[in-house]
Amino acid sequence: MSDSTPHGMHEGPAVGQDEWVARHGERSELRKGAFGALERRLRSVPWWAWLVLFLAGFSLLPVVEQGGYVREVAFSTVLYMLLALGLNVVVGWGGLLDLGYVAFYGIGAYAYALLDSPHYGIHLPVFVSVPAIAVIGAIVGLLLGLPSWRLTGDYLAIVTLFFLQLFQTITTNWQNVTGGPFGILNIDPFGAFGVNVQPEHGGVFAVAYLYIALGFFAVVFVALRFLNLSRTGRAWRSLREDPLAAEAMGMPVNRLKLLSFSFGAAVAALTGTLYAALYANVFPLTFYFVLLITVYTMVILGGSGSQAGVVAGAVIISPLLEMLRDASKSRVLFFLTLVVSLAVLSRRSRATAAMALSTLVFGFVVHAVCGGVHSSWIAGEHAGGLGGFVAHWVVVPAHLARWITPVSYIGVIAAALVCTMLRGRARLVALVPTLYLAAFVWENVMLSKPEPARYIVLGVILIGLMILRPNGLLGERRVEII
Amino acid sequence: MKKAIAFALAVLATAAVASSAQGSRTVAVSANAGYSCSKTITIPFVTPITGGAGFLGTEQVSWAKYAIKTLAPSLGLKIKLVVGDTPVEQGPTPATAVAQKYIGDPSVLGLLGPSTSGDVAATAKVFYAAHLAHISPSATRTDFTQGPASQREEYPTFFRDVPGDYIQGPSDANYMIKTLHVKKVVIMDFQEPYSLGLAAAVNTVLTKAGVSTIRLSAPNTTTDYSAYVTKVPSDADIVFFPTQKPGDANTFAQQLIEQGKKAKVFGGDGSDDSTQFKQPGSYVSNFAPDITGIKADAGIISGWKKDNPGKSVGSFGPPSYGAVQILMNAIKLACNQGHGTATRQSVLANMKKVSIKNWILGGSFKWSTKSNDPLNAKFYIFQIQSNGSYKLVG
Amino acid sequence: MDQFIQLTIDALTLGSVYALIALGYTLVYGVLKLLNFAHGDVFMVGSFAGYGTFQVLGGANPKVPLWLFLSLVTLAGMAVCAGLGVVIERFAYRPLRDAPRIAPLISALGVSFFLSNSMQLLFGATPRNYDTFDIHEAVLYTSGFDIGDVHMPLLRVITILAAFVLMIVLWFLVNKTRTGKAMRATSYDREAASMMGIDIDKVIVFTFVLGSALAGAAGVFFALRVPTTVSIGFVAGLKGFTAAVIGGIGSIPGAMAGGLILGFAESYTQGYISTQWSDLFVFSLLIAFMIFRPQGLLGRADIRKV
Repeated sequence: MSDSTPHGMHEGPAVGQDEWVARHGERSELRKGAFGALERRLRSVPWWAWLVLFLAGFSLLPVVEQGGYVREVAFSTVLYMLLALGLNVVVGWGGLLDLGYVAFYGIGAYAYALLDSPHYGIHLPVFVSVPAIAVIGAIVGLLLGLPSWRLTGDYLAIVTLFFLQLFQTITTNWQNVTGGPFGILNIDPFGAFGVNVQPEHGGVFAVAYLYIALGFFAVVFVALRFLNLSRTGRAWRSLREDPLAAEAMGMPVNRLKLLSFSFGAAVAALTGTLYAALYANVFPLTFYFVLLITVYTMVILGGSGSQAGVVAGAVIISPLLEMLRDASKSRVLFFLTLVVSLAVLSRRSRATAAMALSTLVFGFVVHAVCGGVHSSWIAGEHAGGLGGFVAHWVVVPAHLARWITPVSYIGVIAAALVCTMLRGRARLVALVPTLYLAAFVWENVMLSKPEPARYIVLGVILIGLMILRPNGLLGERRVEII
Repeated sequence: MKKAIAFALAVLATAAVASSAQGSRTVAVSANAGYSCSKTITIPFVTPITGGAGFLGTEQVSWAKYAIKTLAPSLGLKIKLVVGDTPVEQGPTPATAVAQKYIGDPSVLGLLGPSTSGDVAATAKVFYAAHLAHISPSATRTDFTQGPASQREEYPTFFRDVPGDYIQGPSDANYMIKTLHVKKVVIMDFQEPYSLGLAAAVNTVLTKAGVSTIRLSAPNTTTDYSAYVTKVPSDADIVFFPTQKPGDANTFAQQLIEQGKKAKVFGGDGSDDSTQFKQPGSYVSNFAPDITGIKADAGIISGWKKDNPGKSVGSFGPPSYGAVQILMNAIKLACNQGHGTATRQSVLANMKKVSIKNWILGGSFKWSTKSNDPLNAKFYIFQIQSNGSYKLVG
Repeated sequence: MDQFIQLTIDALTLGSVYALIALGYTLVYGVLKLLNFAHGDVFMVGSFAGYGTFQVLGGANPKVPLWLFLSLVTLAGMAVCAGLGVVIERFAYRPLRDAPRIAPLISALGVSFFLSNSMQLLFGATPRNYDTFDIHEAVLYTSGFDIGDVHMPLLRVITILAAFVLMIVLWFLVNKTRTGKAMRATSYDREAASMMGIDIDKVIVFTFVLGSALAGAAGVFFALRVPTTVSIGFVAGLKGFTAAVIGGIGSIPGAMAGGLILGFAESYTQGYISTQWSDLFVFSLLIAFMIFRPQGLLGRADIRKV
C-alpha cells in the first residue's frame, strides 16, 4: 500500500509505461535456488491437475475420518466453496457489491423445497428440478441486476441489501407458500430412477452427499474457469478495472453487469438445492446477514477474483468457525496462530524473535506475581490442552470480577490500535504486553462465549485484510495506474 | 510475503487437523454400541446461551449443572455437561450442526434440548435416526406430540417434561373467559414459530366461546410497537402477547397506558421474566409454578443460589433440573439392565419407565401413556403485582 | 381521526430518530463518498452508553433534576459515540481512503459485525430497558397535553423537540462556521479543498464526530421509549440509510425530510394497510425510489466529469 513509489531506480521505464507497473514484474520475480526450482516446477502444473488433486484429497477425508460430524463439516465446507465461487463472479469479476447474494441461495433452497417435497405433493425428478432452479436463480439475478443499469456501486449495494430484507419478509410472512417461520420440512433427498440417496444412515451423515457436492463443485469450478477465460471474462475484468474506459471502448457495460449478477445467482441457487436436499428442511433465518458476512470473508480472505483463492478462503474459514465453537480447540487454534505467525516473522528479524521470547518471559512473570498476590487469581479452571502450558502462563482467576471483562477487552483493542500507530522498536516493545493481554482476553472472555467470539474473529479478519492485504491471501496484487 | 503466508497456513492446517483429530476420535456410533457406565458420560444441552434468547439458555444451563453436581453422585454416574449454543437469530442451522457433533460422540447416550421448538423441528429427525433420546425442558409446540396426524411431527425419541401449547393455549384462553370475563381480545404474533402456535391455540378457544378477537402480526425484528398499540381498540380487555422477549411485553404494557388504553397485557411462558416484564396488572402464564413456594424445594433452591450468587429463580431453570433428573435416571436404569453397559437404544427404551417422587415442580412426575408428555401437567397463571412480583392467580 | 392523530405522533417520534441517523450517513457520504455501514451499530452503542449513564445517575429515581438527568444521559451517549466514530475513522477507513471503492465498504461491513458482536460478548444479548416509565410515577408518560382525545406524552414532546434542536445546531455548524465551510468545500472537491489549505484529515474527523454524536443522541432517544439490544443496529442503520437516500444522500435538509417521510410511511402503512406486510411495502417503495430517482428528493444528480 505505502510502497507505491519505489526508491533507487536504476533505469527508467520504457516510453509510455508507468514506472510502478514496469517494476511490478521485477518485484515478483521468482526465487533462486532449490526453492525457486521447486516453485517453477509447481507453477508449471496445469490448473486441472491441481483441481483433481484437491478433489481427491477431499474425497479421502471421510475414509480417514468416520464420524458424521467431520463429514458434515466437510459437506458444509463444500457448500461454502460453491457459494464463494458464485460470489466471486459478482464481486471479484463483475466488481459489484452484492449484499443480497445469500437470498439467491435461499431462493434455490426454497424452490427445491417447493418442487420436491410433500409440501405441495410435487416430486419433480432431480434432473429436471435442479437445472430448472439454476435457471430460475439466473433469471431472478437478472431481474435484481436491472437496477444496476441505473445505479452505481453504493446504491446497488443497498438495493441488493433491501432485496435480502424482502426475501426475509416474504419467506417469513407468506405462510401458505413458504411455511413462514415454521419452514418446510421433510424435503426429498436427491435421487434418480426411484433410488433415493438418503442423507443419513442411523443418524450419521451419509457420505454420498459429500461426493455429490464435490461433483457439483467440480462442474461449477470448471464452467466458471472457462467463462473467465472467455470473451465475457475478459470484458468483466476490463469493466472492473475501469468501467468508464470500458464503456468508451464500446463494451456493453450494463449487459455485462447483468450477466455477472445472473451467473452468481445461478451458482447460489444451485448450491441452495444441495442444502435443501441434505438438511431436508429450510427456514428463513438460515439465509441472512451472518451467512452473507461469512461468505464475504471467505472471498476477501482468499483473494477476490481468484478462483483458487476463494476456494482456499472457504476451506480455511469454514473449519475455523467450526473449531471456534469448541473451547479446547479454539484455545489450541489461538496459541498456534500466535506461535506460528511469530515464528514466521522471527525468521526475518532478530528483534521479532527477541520480542516473542520476552512475551514468553513476561507471561511467566505476570503469572508468578499474580499467584504470589493471591492464589485465587490463578486458580481458574484450565481445561487441559497444550500440555498444561497455558495453566502456567496465562492468568485465569477463579472468579472474574464483572469489570474485568469489558476493561480487558477494550484494553486489548486499544493496545492493538496503539501498536499500529507505533513504529520500529517502540512497536515491538508495546507488542509484548499487548500479546499477553490478548491471550488473557482469549482465555477469560472469548472462550466462554463462543458465538460472538467466532464472529468477532470474522469481523477482525475483514477489517485487517482490507487494510493490510486487500488482494487476499492468493489474489494477485492489482497493478494500478492512477 | 505470499510464500510466508502459504508456509504459515500449511503449518497451521496440519497442526489444527492433528489436534482436532486427537480431540475427537469419533466413529459412526451404532445405537446398540455399548458404553461402559463407569466411564464419563457426556450430556449435551442444545440451547441458546447467546443471542436474544440467551437469558433462557443461561438459566437452563445453570440448573442443569446444579442437577448434575448434586444428583449424579447418588446415582453412581460420572457425567460431563457440554453446551451446544444455538442463538435464535440464526435459525435452526447451528442446531443441525451440533446435532451431528453429538451423534458422532460415543459418550453421548441421551441429550437435553433443543430448547426451542424451531430447533426441535429441525433436528428431531436425525436424533430419531440415531436412536438418541432427547428431552426438552421448554419446547412447547403442540404438533411434536399431539394434534391431528396430518400436522404431527412426532418422533418417538423426543420427550418433554413440560406440557405443550395444547394446554397453555386453552388454559390461558379459559382463564380470560371464565375469570376475566373478556369481551374483546387482541392477539399478537411475532412471525416466529413459538408465538404463531400459541396465538393460534388461544384464538381457537376464544372464538369458540364467542369472544371477538383481533389478530395483529408484527415482524420479529420490531422494536417500537407504537403503531400496534394504536390499533388496539379502546374497549379491548386483553392483549395476548406471546413473545420470547419479555422486555417487549413490558414496553407494550407501558405504551398501552401512555395511550390511555385499558387493555392489559397477557404473556405466555416466553415472557416469564420478572426482571424484564414487570408492569403491574399484566398476566403471565407458565408451565412451572413458582417453586420458591414449594417447601420440598427449599434445599435445592438454597443450594442453587449458593452456586449462582445474585441470580433469582426463574421458571425455565427448574424444568431443566427435572429433565436432567429424568435423563440420568433413564441412563441408570439402562446401566442396571445392561450390567454396567448402556446403549442409546436401552436408554431410549428406559426413558418412559422413569417416574420421580419428589418432582421439583411439585407433586410427582409420571409420563403420559399416550405421548411423550408429562401426565396431568398444567399451566399456571400469574398476575404482576405493584411491587413487580408474580402472584399465582390461576 | 383519533387514530390518524395518534399515528402522526408515532410517525414524528419515529421519523425524528430516523432523521438523526440519516444525518450521520449523509454527512459522511458527503465528505468521503463512503457508505458507513457501521453507523447503525454506533447508534446501538449510543443507546447502551445512555443506558449505563441512566443507571449510574439513579435509574428510576434520578439523583439530579429531571431535565439535567435527561440531558446528561443524552450527552453521555453522544460523547461515547463521537469517540467511537473517531476511532473507527482513524483505524478502519483512513488507511483505505485511496483504495478501490469496494474496499472501505467491506471494511465497514467488518466494523459493523465487529461492533455488534463485541457488544454481545461484553454485555450479552439481554434487552436493556431504561425504566423511563418508572421515573417519578410515570410523569414522562402521563403528563403532556391532549390533542382532541389523543394524549401527547411529555417524553415524546421532549424527544421530538430535542431532535429538532440538534438538527438546527447541525445546520448552524455546517452553514455558519469556518469548519462547516471547510466541510462543504471538502465535500465538493476534496483535492481542490486540500490545495486551498484545508486540513482534510481534520475535516473528516470532525464530520465523523458530528455524525456519530447525532447517532448517539438518536440511540438514547430511541431507547428511552423501547428496550434496546445489541442487534438493533442493523435494522436501524438500514432505515437511517434509506431515509438519507430518499432525501438525497449528501443533502442535510434532505436527510431530515427523508427521515420524517420514512417515519410517516411506516406508521401509516402499519396503521392503515397491514402490520404484517409493512416492511414489504416500505422496502419495495424504496427499491422503486432508488431505481427511478437515485438522487433523492433534494439531492442533485451525480454528474461526473472525467
